[in-house]
Amino acid sequence: MRSGNPLLYLALWFFLSLLTLFPIYWLFVVSVKPAVDLFTTPSVILDAIYWKNYVNVINNETLRGYMINSLIISTTNALLVTALAFLACYALSRFELAGKENIFFWTITNRMAPAAVFLLPFYLLFTQVFTFGDWKLYDTKIGMILLYCTFNLPFAIWTLRPTIDGIPKELDEAATVDGASTWQVIYEVIFPLARPGLAVTLILTWVFAWNEFLLAATLTSFNARTITTGLSEYVTTTGTEWGAMAAIAVITLIPALIIFAVVQRHIVAGLTFGAVKE
Amino acid sequence: MIKKSGIGIAALTLSLLAGVMPARADFWSDAGAKYKGVVLRGVTESTPPSNYIKDVLAPEFEKKTGIKVQIETTSWDQMYDKAIKDMEAKTGIYDMVYIEQDIIYAYLARNFLVDISKSLKDDPSLKAPEFDETHFTTFANYFKNASGDLFGIPMEAFIKVYLYRTDLFSDPKIKEAFKKETGKELAPAKTHQEYTQIADFFTKYGKDSGMELWGTTAQAHTGHPASWYEFFESIAPTYGLYNWGIDAKNNYAASVANGGQMNSDKAKAAMKYWLHLRDIAPPESAASTWTEVGTTFAAGRVAQGLVYGENAAWIASDAEKSKVVGKVGVALPPTEPDVLKEVEAGKGYLGYYDGGAFGLPVTSKNKQAALLFLQFIGEDSVQPDWAVAAPRITNTATYDDPKVVAMDKKLNGYYTMLKDQGKLFAGAPPFPFHAQVREATAPIFYKILLGEVGPDEGLDQMAAAAEAELKNLGYRK
Amino acid sequence: MRSNTVGWLMLAPTIAILGIFGIIPFIYVLYVSFHQWNPFGASPDMIYNGANNFRRLVFDAEFLTSIAFTMKFAFFAVISEVALGYLLAQLFMKEFPGRGFFRTIHTLPLIVAPIVVGSVWRLMTTPSIGIIPYLLKSWFGYDLNIGRDATAAFALTVIMDIWHWTPLVTLTLLAALLALPKEPFEQAQIDGANRRQIFWHVTLPMIRPAILATVFIRLMDALRTVDEVWMLTSGGPGAATRYVGLHIWKIVFPKTDYGYGAAISVIVLYLTLVMCWLLYVALVARRERKRTF
Repeated sequence: MRSGNPLLYLALWFFLSLLTLFPIYWLFVVSVKPAVDLFTTPSVILDAIYWKNYVNVINNETLRGYMINSLIISTTNALLVTALAFLACYALSRFELAGKENIFFWTITNRMAPAAVFLLPFYLLFTQVFTFGDWKLYDTKIGMILLYCTFNLPFAIWTLRPTIDGIPKELDEAATVDGASTWQVIYEVIFPLARPGLAVTLILTWVFAWNEFLLAATLTSFNARTITTGLSEYVTTTGTEWGAMAAIAVITLIPALIIFAVVQRHIVAGLTFGAVKE
Repeated sequence: MIKKSGIGIAALTLSLLAGVMPARADFWSDAGAKYKGVVLRGVTESTPPSNYIKDVLAPEFEKKTGIKVQIETTSWDQMYDKAIKDMEAKTGIYDMVYIEQDIIYAYLARNFLVDISKSLKDDPSLKAPEFDETHFTTFANYFKNASGDLFGIPMEAFIKVYLYRTDLFSDPKIKEAFKKETGKELAPAKTHQEYTQIADFFTKYGKDSGMELWGTTAQAHTGHPASWYEFFESIAPTYGLYNWGIDAKNNYAASVANGGQMNSDKAKAAMKYWLHLRDIAPPESAASTWTEVGTTFAAGRVAQGLVYGENAAWIASDAEKSKVVGKVGVALPPTEPDVLKEVEAGKGYLGYYDGGAFGLPVTSKNKQAALLFLQFIGEDSVQPDWAVAAPRITNTATYDDPKVVAMDKKLNGYYTMLKDQGKLFAGAPPFPFHAQVREATAPIFYKILLGEVGPDEGLDQMAAAAEAELKNLGYRK
Repeated sequence: MRSNTVGWLMLAPTIAILGIFGIIPFIYVLYVSFHQWNPFGASPDMIYNGANNFRRLVFDAEFLTSIAFTMKFAFFAVISEVALGYLLAQLFMKEFPGRGFFRTIHTLPLIVAPIVVGSVWRLMTTPSIGIIPYLLKSWFGYDLNIGRDATAAFALTVIMDIWHWTPLVTLTLLAALLALPKEPFEQAQIDGANRRQIFWHVTLPMIRPAILATVFIRLMDALRTVDEVWMLTSGGPGAATRYVGLHIWKIVFPKTDYGYGAAISVIVLYLTLVMCWLLYVALVARRERKRTF
């Protein structure tokens, strides 16, 4: 692609970033103001910083536990989902399986259900079906990791399929002729070429798992609670603690940013593959 | 005689010994010993009183008895949903559930809860010496069944009060201006007419003097049930319209035609009064739930308003959250002239006595240990510190504790009012179908607020919708 | 041809997981939808009532309004997100300094939990004291009151959704653009095609499946939105933003009307399915068939 005038792009991106960042900046503003200043004439500029919300949040052991649970659940789920979707997409793309397009469409239907009513059967499955003695799937990390597949797997399959379909079949055929096994084709030919798609899938499935609220709120209680359920504890019938909630939200941006930074490099790496292909 | 005095001496020695050794504490360690290793689980809303249980009372109880208590705090909807699912599906996850005053009747109707009075009578070894049901305030009555047995240990209780700004009400300039305008002395309103007059005056005063000041709050969100609650729990009763205008004894009638009151003249008058207040309240009122009403008052944007007691406390005392610390007065909500007499005669109520209790689900697998914990949080001795940390009072003796008396001064007599006038307030009507009727009528209610339908016509529609829902639920035949 | 067994094996875990957590709950909900069931009704048991729930919802004005508003919401939100997301993805294809940095900034809204997004937008738009009404008032004299103005509240939910979810579209379309082979573009340039022609005749047909996938995902998620809208407007003013996800939530959570809630869910699921199927057939399946067979 042609590259345009860099200054023009910088200016454009600067402006777009302002729009994107403003609500996040405001989140920060809310987190560093005492509650008394939230409901007065607003000002875009911060004149003083009030750290107490952060001190309270950082010293809160329970929240730290929620954060760790969230990290474990969303990272494991994103990796699992991306791997399974990668295999599924390869199968859908390269094999002549009977009714595969119907299966492909069926996967996405699992994301369509409005969650509220489906909590009931999930609850029963988790508390009364998947139990062994005293152990229940309810309130376990593994339960949440599996359950999040219902909305993340369809998403991953649908975002990855165009990428895998776009990789020319001649490439795997050439590799097969050279004596590569199916697994070698997947790992050595498809995987490097699908990297941008995989990275994007990984990021977005991670985001969905990280932000999920309703299922986690209903199906966990002490051991597997996630940070989004922790956030909802600040919305109560006696009032909402905006400052503490905003402080947690700002803190949760940090691990997410680190993960993004690591994974996003692969989106760039994908750019060079055009040259490899020639 | 001799024998008796012998016993007396023995008792005396025993009690002396008790003074030396911590005999009282022994009940807890003895009773707890049987349940060592048990983990009790409770679910509640994450409000300050509940957080106090989680952070202070639960660890203290564990130290005394060796029984571990885990309290899950979550949002209101989630708390209910999880408790109901647990009891409905008989999962037995929770040993304690939070029961808000308005859902107790639904739980009782479903036999979800253990009868605490009866259980302690049946097994006296579980009865903690200091625990006494009669020590609770009248609020505990809302957690009793027809025969007076207790089904929940009260743990928070508030009334919705009339707050006004003492600094504004005593400002000579303002007083003079008010007198010039109305010919009356400026004083906290007793009637609706006075309240409206004061509200009109302050809204105009704020506008004229270019201040961010209005005459009243209004919890009038156009999509959130907070507005529905303000009308039916706090405004309608002051017009003599009780229990949402639904007559349980008369086949759950809601409309006047069938013997109900929801669309009565009283209801219509109350609605018009409130809509006018909404119009002269600050602009955020149309998007205000209890959260915003509290913050609006705390930001000093209004001269008076109806505010929930749990917020009244921090508004009056917490400088980190409120700009009007030390400038807040508390009074009874204004009423129609004859309603207060009616209420004092016990024929009605002034406003909402809100709060909650901890109950023990019949599905619990650790009922005995849970009973111990419930008694522990109901004892007089743990109350004062709890009241200071989270402004709620459930035991009569708490009012007289020095710490609480000191706090009462800071709150300008909120606790005194709760103590003396608490009986004028009432909990939610004894219906097992709260959220159901609320949700069925709320959409029409929001239309009234938006002016899409007139107040008279809207209330007629609401009464019809309430009856239809009650029929659908099977209560109305 | 390689053995299809390998292909089925690769699909097996996906089918198993979605089968257990997708089909079984659906059957349960379908079963409930043919019953009257409210644990706080006069009779708390599940009572079979045939198709009564479905008969009721056809005439349920609240439900039908909710569907209409949801469609409007989804339409505006999804169209804007896809158009904007595509433009941004194209911009990210260019080389410019700080590209990685800006891309990271641009993905930030995604990692803010919906309940927090709703809270921040609510604080920013509280009538008269939020920063947005304040600035609009002092700059343009416009009085924004989301408690009273249905159109403004609707627009705000759409804008909030666009802010939150455009980055998702950008990322998925970026991945699709990156996977495109170069030859067709080079060929088109050699043939003297201009940029618009390249877009309509080369780029668009090639990324059509990715656009469709993105539209599907956004459409479905927009139809299920609850947390953000609940925090921002609670469905108000009136019913203006009571989108179907929130409508169902209100029936199932506070009202505990499980039977009717299940029936509505089944219908919404069915409507979503039909809509997506039609889109799918119209945009992809037919073309694919033409090309491959």
